[in-house]
Amino acid sequence: MFNKAKSSSKFFELSKFRRRFVLLILLTLFTSLISRSFYLQGMQTDFLQKKGQATSNRTETLHAYRGKILDRNNEILAISAPRETIWANPPEDLMNLSQKKELSRLLKLRLEHLEKRLGKKNKQYVYLKRRASPELASKIMALKIPGIRTEKNYDRFYPEREITAHVVGFTNIDGKGQEGIERQANNLLSGIPGYKKVLKDNIGRIVDDLQEVKIPIDGQDIKLSIDKRLQYSAYKALQKSVEKHNALSGSAVLIDAKSGEILSAVNYPSFNPNGGSKPTQKIRNRVFTDIFEPGSTIKPITVSAALESKKFKPTSIIDTEKGFYRVGSRLTVRDTHANGEITLSEVVQKSSNVGTTIISEKLDSKYLWSTLSMFGLGSKTGVEFPGETSGIVHHFKKWRKTEHATISYGYGLSTNLLQLAQAYTVFANDGELVPVTLIKKEDPTIGRRVLSKKTSQIMLKIMESVVSSEGTAPLAKVTGYRVAGKTGTARKIINGTYENKYIGSFVGIAPVSDPRFVFAVMIDEPSNDGYYGGVVAGPVFSKVMADALKLYSIPQDGFVNEKEDIIIADSSQ
Amino acid sequence: MRLNLILFFVLIIFALALVNVEHQYRNHYSKWDIENKLTIDLKDEKTKLQIEESDKSGNDRVNELAQKKLNMSLPDSKNHRTLK
Repeated sequence: MFNKAKSSSKFFELSKFRRRFVLLILLTLFTSLISRSFYLQGMQTDFLQKKGQATSNRTETLHAYRGKILDRNNEILAISAPRETIWANPPEDLMNLSQKKELSRLLKLRLEHLEKRLGKKNKQYVYLKRRASPELASKIMALKIPGIRTEKNYDRFYPEREITAHVVGFTNIDGKGQEGIERQANNLLSGIPGYKKVLKDNIGRIVDDLQEVKIPIDGQDIKLSIDKRLQYSAYKALQKSVEKHNALSGSAVLIDAKSGEILSAVNYPSFNPNGGSKPTQKIRNRVFTDIFEPGSTIKPITVSAALESKKFKPTSIIDTEKGFYRVGSRLTVRDTHANGEITLSEVVQKSSNVGTTIISEKLDSKYLWSTLSMFGLGSKTGVEFPGETSGIVHHFKKWRKTEHATISYGYGLSTNLLQLAQAYTVFANDGELVPVTLIKKEDPTIGRRVLSKKTSQIMLKIMESVVSSEGTAPLAKVTGYRVAGKTGTARKIINGTYENKYIGSFVGIAPVSDPRFVFAVMIDEPSNDGYYGGVVAGPVFSKVMADALKLYSIPQDGFVNEKEDIIIADSSQ
Repeated sequence: MRLNLILFFVLIIFALALVNVEHQYRNHYSKWDIENKLTIDLKDEKTKLQIEESDKSGNDRVNELAQKKLNMSLPDSKNHRTLK
């Protein structure tokens, strides 16, 4: 019994040692755990939390559709189309040779090239094809190859390509507007992307939705005033003229004279806004951004100022002498040939620089300057387009005698083509200037009076004579319609001196009985087969105006000139 | 004691309500997700059709069809006949 008790005591003594030993080990382990946990929880909290969230909680962007750009008849000019990015995760690559061959065939990649890309085992994301069609992506996914995935993106697509490129503009790879309406209305078109929080595994697969979601707001569609059909007609006619006359470029703008809506604004040469790089010299919309000396197209404004001043009548006789006229000691104004004594109407019809100079000498500088300003020259039209220029009309106090003379026939001031076309809406609207717009209008347009109704109607008749066989633009005639307009042939100023290079232009109105359209066209540096405005720009006007009048079913008013005949196309020939 | 019982039952009811709301939220979220995916697919399909339509009605194509298939051409001044 005693022995048993003794051995039991020994056992307990040993047990006490063991207990202490175990306790010590446990305490040590516990202390190390607490200190490690303190270190992780207290000293590296932010780092570890970020690390953890980065590999698990992800915010998936929910795409907001960029709005469409439409023409006035709801035809698409710009739209965001789905595209697929096909990519691979090389560490997962378990393809056999036949799968690789099939994949390389679909991707149109050489097998060695594909194997090289899939060989990058240190990467988890390798592009195989960007901007692939959804059809191709679905064919590839149907192969069920491990490690091959697709990702949906949206690419901007412009179905009309070169024809509407300058007006519509384009976006960059991130979908942000860079030029044209895409840039001007970027905020409206973009919308607001949404997001949803998801749980992803380490190779990027969505494991679970965390049910936190913000719904995207799609961008708004924009309906332009542009008519796709007239845009096409103007582009083709301009292209033909630029190529025929071997010119540097050409621009044209068609305005609805009643509403001020721009139905067509084209430039040639143009560029394809779809896809990669764009030629920087060709992306400017020269209708709105480039200024030039308008030359004789300004003469109707000078003459209308003369009529408004009551100092002249359409029948007033102007002696244009022998075709040249001295202004001060430094300037000799010349006509192409001597016209002698001609009426004020004939000054416009024959585009006499001398006649216009003599008329302008009877008008004081302030009056002429204010008339030009009232016609909108020297200030922006306010059209919804980035980079519109205001043109240059110097203040009358800075004018010398020579400038007073040259400005009257379109030198010493500059405008863009749109300003010039807008100025002519005054003649088309019984003396009222209408604001121009690139956005389709639903409300009636309120114009600003510039001339009296009587003067504007007289000017229309005077300008109608320009498009007669005695005028400077017989090629601008439109069969079946009465047309009014004015040609311009201005020498170009290069490095401060006037060179033998020209800008041929024409601005016209039709039909004269109830004007509906104003069309302005300019051809820059025509060098082959003539350079006069009537020759290079007149036919463009004729073609486009004929198309516009037909498309909008404008009744013919040319019966007076055609002896009240009805003109039809003879289908038998 | 009675108050405690009442509070206990209220607690149970709120807990059940919470579970129910959570369940309904998941349900609705899942339905929304399906609908959203369908909407996106339909939108993409519509876009494709619009592009196709735009392609078919392209001025160049219409011009080519008119000229080559239908032998249509714009009459020039020689091909005009004037009727009185």
